[in-house]
Parts: sequence; structure tokens; C-alpha cells
Amino acid sequence: MKIKTTFRTGLIMTLLALAGCASGPGGGIYVPVGGEPAKAPEPPRTSAGEDEAPVWRKSEQPAAAPSEQEPPRSSSPSYRETGDGLSPAALSLVREADGLLKQGDAAGAIARLERAQRIAPRSAEVYFKLSEAYVASNRLGPAEQFTLKGLSLAGSDTRLQRAGWLLLADIRRARGNVAGADQAEARAAAQ
Amino acid sequence: MFRFCAIGLVLLAGWTVYLDAVVTSRFEGRRFEVPSRVYARPLELFEGASISAGALERELQLSGFHKGAGDKPGSYQRNGRRFVISTRGFSFPDGDEPARRISLTISADRVQSFSVIRGEAAPIIRLEPARIGGIYPAHKEDRVLVELSQVPALLPATLMAVEDRNFYDHFGIAPLSIGRAMLANIRAGRVVQGGSTLTQQLVKNLFLTRDQTLLRKGNEAIMSVLLELHYEKDDILETYLNEVYMGQAGTRSIHGFGLASQFYFGQSLGDLDLHQIALLVGMVKGASYYNPRRNRERATERRNLVISEMEQAGLIEPERAARARGLPLGVSERPSYSENRYPAYIDLVRRHLARDYKEEDLRSEGLRIFTTLDPAIQYAAEFAVTDTLPRLGGAKLAESLEATLVVTAKDSGEVLALVGGKDPRFAGFNRALDANRQIGSLVKPFIYLSALQRSERYTLMTPVLDKSFTLEFDDGRRWQPKNYDGEERGEVPLHKALSHSYNLPAVRVGLDIGVDVVSDTLTAFGVDTPISQYPSMLLGSVSMSPITVAQIYQGLATSGFNTPLRTIREVTDASGEALSRYSLEVEQVADPAAVHLVQYAMQETMQEGTGRSTYNILPRQLTLAGKTGTTDDGRDSWFAGFSGDLLAVAWVGRDDNGATALTGASGALPVWSRFMAQVPQHGFSPVVPDGVNYHWVNTERQALTDKYCDTARLLPFIAGSEPAQTVSCSGTLERRIRGWFEGLFQ
Repeated sequence: MKIKTTFRTGLIMTLLALAGCASGPGGGIYVPVGGEPAKAPEPPRTSAGEDEAPVWRKSEQPAAAPSEQEPPRSSSPSYRETGDGLSPAALSLVREADGLLKQGDAAGAIARLERAQRIAPRSAEVYFKLSEAYVASNRLGPAEQFTLKGLSLAGSDTRLQRAGWLLLADIRRARGNVAGADQAEARAAAQ
Repeated sequence: MFRFCAIGLVLLAGWTVYLDAVVTSRFEGRRFEVPSRVYARPLELFEGASISAGALERELQLSGFHKGAGDKPGSYQRNGRRFVISTRGFSFPDGDEPARRISLTISADRVQSFSVIRGEAAPIIRLEPARIGGIYPAHKEDRVLVELSQVPALLPATLMAVEDRNFYDHFGIAPLSIGRAMLANIRAGRVVQGGSTLTQQLVKNLFLTRDQTLLRKGNEAIMSVLLELHYEKDDILETYLNEVYMGQAGTRSIHGFGLASQFYFGQSLGDLDLHQIALLVGMVKGASYYNPRRNRERATERRNLVISEMEQAGLIEPERAARARGLPLGVSERPSYSENRYPAYIDLVRRHLARDYKEEDLRSEGLRIFTTLDPAIQYAAEFAVTDTLPRLGGAKLAESLEATLVVTAKDSGEVLALVGGKDPRFAGFNRALDANRQIGSLVKPFIYLSALQRSERYTLMTPVLDKSFTLEFDDGRRWQPKNYDGEERGEVPLHKALSHSYNLPAVRVGLDIGVDVVSDTLTAFGVDTPISQYPSMLLGSVSMSPITVAQIYQGLATSGFNTPLRTIREVTDASGEALSRYSLEVEQVADPAAVHLVQYAMQETMQEGTGRSTYNILPRQLTLAGKTGTTDDGRDSWFAGFSGDLLAVAWVGRDDNGATALTGASGALPVWSRFMAQVPQHGFSPVVPDGVNYHWVNTERQALTDKYCDTARLLPFIAGSEPAQTVSCSGTLERRIRGWFEGLFQ
């Protein structure tokens, strides 16, 4: 059972990693603070509060392009249909993690993936990868949770949804939760 | 007689052997205690990384980089927005980061044109992390350990000139000085003079009581000789510098010149001027008698005497001495206890470490602790508190106000910054962790979340009654909740009741679904203390610390995933061997679909509700979600909210729990907004979870409607809970005709 699980997980992950290269960043609008203070303030010192204060100025730069998605109306709450893709920096860490996993170093892979998660925290792929690393270290509880987290960011991306639900089905089956696995498989099929 | 002498000698020999064991074990224990080193998170640089040029430069300086040509390891060059940085390389627990030379520009607060000029190519690199403190508490003493090689040479030279001129020549005791002192004591009929060598003083500090008895004097002499037999002069001198008693701060004694320099001047020992060194050396004679904060004149007199001794010993020229004697003491107004720049944060780190490590290991084993502190975020948080607080509610009130700010990374639960009070350098009461205060309306999102998880009964559009009522308890007591403004509005849609923080609908909904259900939701989101089951809990009569509030809001910010807050990534031993990793954990504790609906209303709070004043200083593109909280008479002013990247919780109030004229919106929100305004970041834009659909609706008519209608509002619904009927914009034909034409000309 375990061998089968790992195999399918690996297959899904390979597909995801390849797809990851193709997808660009999207979603949340990046808002720079704008104009730099004329002189960089001193680093914090033990004498509090006397440092030169950073100055808040209205942005002098145009806001970052709101990607291809519809910009949010200023008066309505924002939402989006999919999470972020992987930036080249995050992708390089994911690839390092892949290499470590192949060498059987799951702990090393998790450390790389957590770095990737910090710079791409809204990418479903990163969480699916973390799940894979936890499957490899035979810790299926965290693996299931990371899959769920990834699914919460998959949005309308059917490729990610399908991959996530299949992964969840495998993990649940390996944990002996047959009903939960069937349910997840049904969700995968519905995508 | 001979036998008597022999017995005496044997006893003395035995006693000496005993003292020898005491001396060596204690001395070694003290000398080789190596404090733990605490590091900030390393800055990761890559194409697109979010950072301003000012923050990057501050970070470089904090990590000990020097401004220059950027060609030597540990230096950088800045040319406007362009940086060239030569890193030193660093051994991280998960691998070595080699030394490199990199070049980048900062544009619109992002790293661009990132490239490695020299060294191994990589799309992402880590700078060496800044050291942000150490963990040294020992025997209720705080210490800033110094090494002899780092101490300005003038300090030991002055110390010897004043206390022990023959230090490098004697064997622990100086019989001549003792003789001189004894003579003086006999003449005076009591002990008036010491004549102790530095070694004897150290022995007294390390092993003995302060009584001036003959027996103690004898022990002191034997132990001093023993110490000299076992150890080098420099070892003894270094230990002396770290052990000498330099004053008292409440129950804590100040030992060593390193800490004394911090305590009296707020400076590192290496940065002291000669008049400051003279004062510290002068205080060795009697730290409380010559306390420069309490006995200014006496201390000045003593300092000037020391300066004269320095001059006589040829350590300084007469002109410098004269100039130094004319200077004020230069003592800082308030004591500063350690080099620890971030006492509140380090406090939390220590509590997290205490789960897995013994205190004595932390202070003595030389562990390396890699934390999640982000110096740029901490800087912005401290600035937001210290700059905003004095402007709140008039000067008189502002004086009595305190504030805290907790900032975490939204999706990882890493605590990035922590401010425990209006003086961020104060190492005392840590309000962010220990001030348990009523949370007021911060509880409301959890009430509505509990309700919205029952999508067959509640949607964002569900009308809820904003009308007063009285609850009568079995024991005859009555409870009559009120709105903050005293008004009643009849029926309001649920999303508006939350975004405008109306009390009456919240209590009604809470009572409808059950106080126990709300309480269970809070527990699932991370409240680890018992929660009152009284209905007043629905208006936030439950008390929590700011850090707990940050924990439970983490689940709201991450669509229902509880993410335990962390301050530590890794701990290694002194040689870099990993001891513990604290990994990212997530646990789904609520239906993401229901949380998405609450996030909608919390965004509405910022755009049209109680949090809207945030956009007086923040740009509208920065979409945010949050919630205000106010308790009776403005005793507590809260704001908890998040962007795409950060979660922050601000609290403002008084330590004596007194009244203020503040609300969540007028007290904590300005602090929160001021913080957010300084950090480049992504707006909040949650991914629509599976099973949620957005529909244009007319909330008054409880029906689907058309996008172009004036009354139309785009609301998310959990699939199956959307309204069944449809109304047109007041039923006119206009829209339908336009629709026709649109179809025709497409």
C-alpha cells in the first residue's frame, strides 16, 4: 500500500513541478511604501526613540501592475480565483528539495521547502510539496494537513485541485481512512 | 606542642585541599559558561524580494556590514538604488552559505537585477543573520560577558593603577599591602582598610560573604594563592572584569564591566570614553556608595580622583585628564539592562525555548538560536508605537497610556516583531505576553464564523435584529446589552452587523447558535485557557494577551488553518550541530468556505465599517481585513487585522486598567495603520475556496439581482445557500433593453 501511495504522489509531484515552471506570479497587489527617506535612518540602538523616523509619504511610484486579473473595486472586498505561482527563487528551492528527497533526506527537503514557503506562501504547489516530503518521512498527519492547505489555495485551477484531491486520497487511504479517501477521489474525479 | 602543631598542619592541609576543590570547580564553572547566541532571521535576497533601500541598508548595518567599496567580505557599496554586497558566508543549520559578491537594485521596494558577480551562482542567497542578543542569566545576575582582548586597554590599566599596581607580579596576595592595612586597622581599632589584590577581590566576589572577619580573611588569602597557582594572570583578570559587583537593580545585581557599561551608559564597553571608564573603575570601591545616579557629586569626586591616578600612572596626558575632569558623568537617565535590543521578543524566545531546554544549558552551553525576528518589521513596529502613542487622546492621557504590537507572517505563523510597551528597550513587564485584557468586539468574527458554518441558517445576507432585549438569569439577575452608540437599527444584514460591529445582533446570533459553540470555535483557534460561558462573553468579556489574540486571528487570516506561532526556526550547539528544528505546522480548524465569508466582512470593516479611518493614511490598493475591539470606558483599545503578508495585533490601554476616551478605531487602529504604512507588502486577496460562489444580490430584498443595479452587492455564498429568487433593479425595463443592445453589437 505504501509503495503505491508514494509512487502516485511522486507522479503527481513531477507533473506539478513541471507545471510550476510555467505559471507566473499572480494575485495580491504589491504595494510599495514609496519614496525613500533622504537619509537612511540609523539602525536601532539601545537609546530608544531618538532615531530618525522613517517618513511615510504617499507612493511616488505607480502601483505594481495588478496582473491579468480584474483590479479590485476600491469599495468592495478583494478576492481571487487562484493562488500564486512559484517565482524562480522559490522554484529553485523546490528543485533543491526534490534532489534531497531523491537522496532520502526528507528533513533537508522540508527545510528547503519551508524557505520556499516563506517566499511563496500563497502557492498551492509549495504545500503539496511539503506534503510529499512528510509522506516520505512517514508523517502522514502533517502531510494530510499540508494537502488541505494547498487545496485551500488551488481555487479554480482544476489541475491543482485534481492533483490535491488525489494526493489527499492516497494519504487518507494510507492512514486507514477509506471513506475519506473515497470522498477525496470523488472530488478529484469531479474536477 | 609538636603534636599540637602537627595536628594543626594536617587540619590546615585538609582545609586547603577542600578550598582548592571549591576554587577550581567554581572558577571553571564561571569561566567556561558560554551564553547562547540569538540570531535574527537571515535576510533572503532574490529577484523580486520585498524590501526598501532604507531597510536593506539598515539590515546590512545590523549584520555588521561596513559601507565601502563592497569588495571585501562584510562590506557593501550603495549608489542610490544600486547595491553591491560582499557577503562573508555563514554556516546555517541546513547548510553552508558561501561568501559571494552580489549586485542588485531596489525599485518600487523590490529587489531587481539581482546577480551574483563573484562566487557560486544562485537565484537566491541568505545574508548572515544579525546577532540580536544572548541568553546569560545566572544566579539572578545578568551578564554581558567580555573578553580581555575586546576590552579597551585603558580599562585594565586603570583598574590596576587604582586597585592593584603589582597585579602581574604578586602571587595572589601582597603581604606588604596587607601589613599596611593591618597597621591602619589596629590604629583605628576596627577594619578601615582592605589592601586586597584584584585576585583577593575576585575570590571575595566569587566564593565568600561580605563579612570582614579574620577567618574570612584567612580563607580569602589561601584561596587567592590557590587561584594564582592554577590559572594565568589574564584569565584571572578577565574573570574579575566579568564578576566584579557594580550595582543593584531591584533584586538583580549588576556584575561585570560589560553589563555595568550598559546599565549606566547604555553603551557597549568598547565605545566608552576615558571619563566613563574612570567612573566605572572608581565604583569598584563601593558601587552603591558611589552610585552615579543617586550620589552624583560623590561619584564625580571619585571619578576625578581616578582620572588623576591615570594621569600619575602615565596612562593619559595631563591635558586629556584636565578635559576629562571637566566633563559631566555622562550617565544615561534610565538604566538599560543588557545589550538586548529587543527584550520583549527575546522574552518570548526564552519561553518557547523553556519547553525543550533547561535554563542552565541556555546560559552556559553556547547554543546558537535562530529566531524569526525580522529587524525591518521590528523597527517599523517600534516606530509605530513610539510615534503614535504620544498623540493619542491628549497629552495628559497619552502619558498614562501603554501599547503593544505583535506582528506575524500571515501564512507561516512566524513572529516577526513584538513590542511589549511604549519603551521598546524596557526589559520588564511584557504586556504582549502577560497583559490579559478583555478583548471586546475582537470576539465577534468568531461568533459569526460559528454561525456561518451553518450555511443552511446563516449567510452574509441574513437579516439579524439590531434591537435591545433583556436576558434574565435563573438567579434573578438581568443583563441588557447595548450598542456602542446607543442606537437601534431594526434589521441589518449579517455582513454589515459585523463590519460595523453592532453589539445587539452579535449577542442575538451568539445566543441563537449557543455560547458553547462560540467558545468551542475560540478553543479550536488556539485559546488555551478556560472561556467563560456567560453570555457577556459574546461582547468580549473574555480576557486574552495580545499574543493569544494574534494566535487566534492567524486562523481567520489563513482561511481556517491554525498555524502555531513560532519564534524559533532552529537551535544548534556551539559547533553548529542541529539540536532542534521547529517546523511549520498547519491544522485545519474551520471550514475554509465559512472563513472566506468572515474575511469578506472583515475587509468590509476596513472599507466602510469601524476600520475605515485606516485609509486616511494607507493607499486604497492595499486591501486589508481587520476588526476593532473596545471594552467599557475605553479601558482596552484593540485592533487585529491582516494584509496579504502580515498579521498585526495592536493594543492600547492603561496598566492600571483605568478608563480612556479611546475606542479600537481611535487608539489601536492608528498604531496598527502607522505600522502597516511603513512596510511594503501585498494586499489581502483571498483565494475563493472550493464551494464558494460570488453573486450579485439585493440584500434588502434577499434576492439575486443584476450587477448594474444601484442596490447590487457582490457577496460570497457557500454553494447551496444563495438566494433562490431574482429581482431586477426596481423592476424597470431599462436594463433589459440595454442588455438586448449589448447582445446585438457584440
